Amino acid sequence: MVYDSIDALTYCSESNPGSFNPQLDTSSTTADATAHQVYDRLLEFNPENGRIIPGLASSWLVSADGLTYTFQLRRGVKFHTTHYFTPNRNFNADDVIFSIDRWRSDKHPYHEIGGGVYPYFDSLGLYQKIKHVKRINGYRVEIALFAPDSSFLANLATDFAVILSAEYANLLMKDGRPSWLDKFPIGTGPYKFVNYRQNQFIRFIQNEEHFLPPSGPKQIVFDITLRSSLRMAKLITGECDAIAFPSQSDLSVIEERSDLKLLEKPGLNVGYWGFNTSKPPFDNPNVRQALALAVDKTSLIDAVYLGQAVRAKGLVPSASWAYESSGRELGYNPVRAKELLEQAGVPNNFSMDIWAMPVQRAYNPNAMKMAQLIKRYLADIGIEANIVTQDWNIFRQSLRSGIHDTVLIGWNADNGDPDNFYRPLLSCEAIPSGTNRTMWCNPEYDALVDQALLTDVVETRRQIYHQANSLIFNETPLMPIAHAFQYQATRAEISGLRINPYGGIRFENVSRTAKENLND
Amino acid sequence: MQRFNLYQEEYYPSPLMHVWLEFKRSHIALVGFILLLIFCGIALLAPLISPFDPNLQNTNAILLPPSWEPNGTINHLFGTDSLGRDVFSRLLFACRTTFGSSIIIVFVSVIIGVGLGALAGVLSGVRSSIVNHLLDSIMSIPTLLIAIVIVAILGTGLFNSMMAITLALIPQFVHQTRTFVKKQLQKDYVLLDKLDGAGPTRIFFRSILPGMVELIVIQATLALSIAIIDVSALGFLSLGAQDPNIELGVVLSQSLDVAYVAPWLVFIPGLCIFLMVLSVNIVGEGFRSALRNRLSR
Amino acid sequence: MIRLCIRYLNLIVLTILALIGLSFLLPFLFPGDLLTNISGITPDSNQQREALERAFKLDKSLFSQFIHYLENLFAGNWGVSNRTQLDLFDEIALTFPATIELVVYASVVSVTIGIPLGFISGLKHHNPFDFSVVTFSIVAYSFPVFWLALIFITVFSLQLEWLPTSGRIDLLFEVPSVTGFILVDIWLSDIPNKGYAFKDALQHLILPTISVAIVTTALFVRFVRRSIMDVMEKEYIIAAKSRGFTQRQIFFKHGLKNAIIPILPILALQVSTLITNVMIVETIFSWPGIGKWLIEAIYQRDYPAIRMGMLIVSLFVMILTISTEFLTRAIDPARERGVNATL
Repeated sequence: MVYDSIDALTYCSESNPGSFNPQLDTSSTTADATAHQVYDRLLEFNPENGRIIPGLASSWLVSADGLTYTFQLRRGVKFHTTHYFTPNRNFNADDVIFSIDRWRSDKHPYHEIGGGVYPYFDSLGLYQKIKHVKRINGYRVEIALFAPDSSFLANLATDFAVILSAEYANLLMKDGRPSWLDKFPIGTGPYKFVNYRQNQFIRFIQNEEHFLPPSGPKQIVFDITLRSSLRMAKLITGECDAIAFPSQSDLSVIEERSDLKLLEKPGLNVGYWGFNTSKPPFDNPNVRQALALAVDKTSLIDAVYLGQAVRAKGLVPSASWAYESSGRELGYNPVRAKELLEQAGVPNNFSMDIWAMPVQRAYNPNAMKMAQLIKRYLADIGIEANIVTQDWNIFRQSLRSGIHDTVLIGWNADNGDPDNFYRPLLSCEAIPSGTNRTMWCNPEYDALVDQALLTDVVETRRQIYHQANSLIFNETPLMPIAHAFQYQATRAEISGLRINPYGGIRFENVSRTAKENLND
Repeated sequence: MQRFNLYQEEYYPSPLMHVWLEFKRSHIALVGFILLLIFCGIALLAPLISPFDPNLQNTNAILLPPSWEPNGTINHLFGTDSLGRDVFSRLLFACRTTFGSSIIIVFVSVIIGVGLGALAGVLSGVRSSIVNHLLDSIMSIPTLLIAIVIVAILGTGLFNSMMAITLALIPQFVHQTRTFVKKQLQKDYVLLDKLDGAGPTRIFFRSILPGMVELIVIQATLALSIAIIDVSALGFLSLGAQDPNIELGVVLSQSLDVAYVAPWLVFIPGLCIFLMVLSVNIVGEGFRSALRNRLSR
Repeated sequence: MIRLCIRYLNLIVLTILALIGLSFLLPFLFPGDLLTNISGITPDSNQQREALERAFKLDKSLFSQFIHYLENLFAGNWGVSNRTQLDLFDEIALTFPATIELVVYASVVSVTIGIPLGFISGLKHHNPFDFSVVTFSIVAYSFPVFWLALIFITVFSLQLEWLPTSGRIDLLFEVPSVTGFILVDIWLSDIPNKGYAFKDALQHLILPTISVAIVTTALFVRFVRRSIMDVMEKEYIIAAKSRGFTQRQIFFKHGLKNAIIPILPILALQVSTLITNVMIVETIFSWPGIGKWLIEAIYQRDYPAIRMGMLIVSLFVMILTISTEFLTRAIDPARERGVNATL
């Protein structure tokens, strides 16, 4: 292992990845740690403008009816050679077929390995849309759909559509340790996985055989630091070159100091308070509205986001064309809240849980603090709240099984289409895949969301989404709180790091102008 | 001590008074004693003297600096925390929890420990060498370590952590009482009692216990300083008191998130723990040397 | 002597058995599913549950379960962690040496500073130097160690930017773990830039070591000072004085030995206090030791990990205690057992 302070970078991340295969997990921690380090996709987004550009597919054709896609694959692409695997062949069509069939077909030998849930693809219902994936020759693959889908190519460019090595998978299956596929990852990406220790670090080393000329640091270490104050301290001492999610209260400090740099971008996200509608008394819309009425959103935004966020009325932020400026929202009205609770027959001193996510996210930089604020508001209307928090991966597993009462969490969009908010957050399909935290399943809503995809006319779609908004308003499965800015902080000498609006962090343009020597 | 002496008798202060006179001679000990009294006062009167409800959140006034800073306000002596709660009021209540629970812990462990120790000493037939040895070995394990083990089993929370620390402190009192009682039982005055027909209960309460009080007090001050550190350490590690309970270690660990912009929020609660432990240690030290001086005269 | 050996051997074996027995019973006391508490695996299906139950002999009597537990324990087969599914033996083998390393360095610092200071102030007691040493020791002894560590970070890392805040070494260095002691491992390894790595590891060591060492040093000073004061008042010292020996001769001939031997075990027992403080400090400095690991396990209710971590730490402390006591009694048979320190 070569150590050279100029050529190495330490990135302080906020949590442990749930897996080393982003197919299995939509958490942005997982995407950051794997998607653009270990793997490549058939297609990529240009981080500048969001256009789709070639990845492992050097070119592609779409048939006139929009049903058949043919991808020409790049030749001579090598999978990683590591201490646990040495590839015998280059990347070819078999790897593409393996990677897609793994999540598409529940008969695939690898489908159940790792839990059998592929949250991103499942929540979009993508497995139902694909008719077949066929090998034409070693470097040409054909994918046929049942119906045209204008977002299909974009889905193949998201963080989750990574290409795995079929050869490695077969070898593991033969050795009887298939779960290694998602723990000791092999991809074609710009960095090779070296090792990982929970709550400590992930180490990557540059893949010198990557099909693009290698650039960026030779070695990358993810220093897993759960506390944002500690990340800030490490940034100041230079133990971290860049940190994820600086605390809102430290932002002004970072801007003032000449040795630090703050990166910011308006985020395509929403932070919300979700109610578990499958559990009484939260199955009663009046109770949910009462809870939403009891909390003063303005003070949450003041105290938790320190004003670095826009008050949310609905699911989509104002940057999206589907935003409804005249949308209705529930204001702060504890008197009305109390009335509603009495009507619903909720006893005084009713006790409930608020699950507060343990990690920081742009959409909710401090869920714990927000939960404490909400707790006080609930006490005013005679509800006693307990705050629950757990390790992030266990937390999300528990949410998927639906044992929570209410939860403070949010959603970061993977692309600019409003469907990416409406469908994963509240559709029925998204309950088993674990992105719908409210367990709210409303056929009328699902019909509206489906209907909105059938047309390309923006005005029509906007009307439909507005109808969905009023349905959400009436039913209140969740209380939208804020759309927040996204932040990252780096040392001043680091250049080329950008907030990637389309998914996980990337390091290929990162360089260091001069680093203070470690020996003085 | 000046007294009006009517009968021209020599004045002999009682042993306890003697200790107090010796204690008073050291100014440092006296300062520690006053500090300790102040903490007792806070523990008793926190609800009366705190200017705000310690859990009152005010999102219009978050992270106000302390009043001696240029932009601090006089309303909030030590400023406010990241939820706009008054730090001074929270500190008063936190001192109350930490100090109060430590006193309770020590009180309970003294009663149980002395009781068990006396029993073991008086009924000397029960003891077996192995049990005694195990007890000795357990005693040398730090109480905090035992408390962490017990909390891991019982679960976190203020009550559980108090129980854990109490359990961890008891062996020290058992050991000391047993050794003391066994030593005294061999002395002549106890034999005299026995010849007078006193039973073991009477011997213990009438003859041995009075001579043991000072020993217990010394051990109890030691235990008190350990208890304060343990309660706040468990709170700091989120293994002890949980959020609605305001405890010094909890306040300290909650402030870590804003440590860089509001370092005083980390500094002040720690200082409170430190002063509390320091005053207990100074008083304990003063008491010990007073006792030593009395005996050496 | 032989009787003493047998006695203490007996005691050690019994203690170990008692602790193992206690740890065997822990899963029954922990809340939640017994099988998961024991195995660390949450079974997906009934077949897997039955297979696991058979594997852990849960269908057999409690006694055969215990025997099975003992066998596994001695075979290094300690089960897996609930949260990471990693082998507990490997985990503890990685984390425990890191803790011991910190304990060793902190002890060295405490001994080299605390004992001489205690001697000097005990010999010249009630002069200004002694007064300041006593003041230092009572102040230092009153520090909550976690607060001290935070103040060190604030001053030396954030304000002065001299020292790093977390970990054992810059993560960019990849030092293979052989002994578990980072400095030794660097020396044994063949990584490039060994010199830098060594320096970097030392810088990481300074703050955590000092934070724990301060409290122990204060204790050492007090024990040594009191002991030397007591010894110097003894008749044989006065006799030596009256025979015209210098203070220096008296101290080295009589004082040193007689003052230090009785308190050696008491000093040795402070190692367990040190371990506890190290465990707390680890969580602040992100030191990858057993304290941090265990406390994280408690947060996540990872019962298999709690059970093994507890067993190892308590075994270590108990064996240390008993062997110290044994050595004391072997050296000084006239001694009463379990004598406590006087401050």
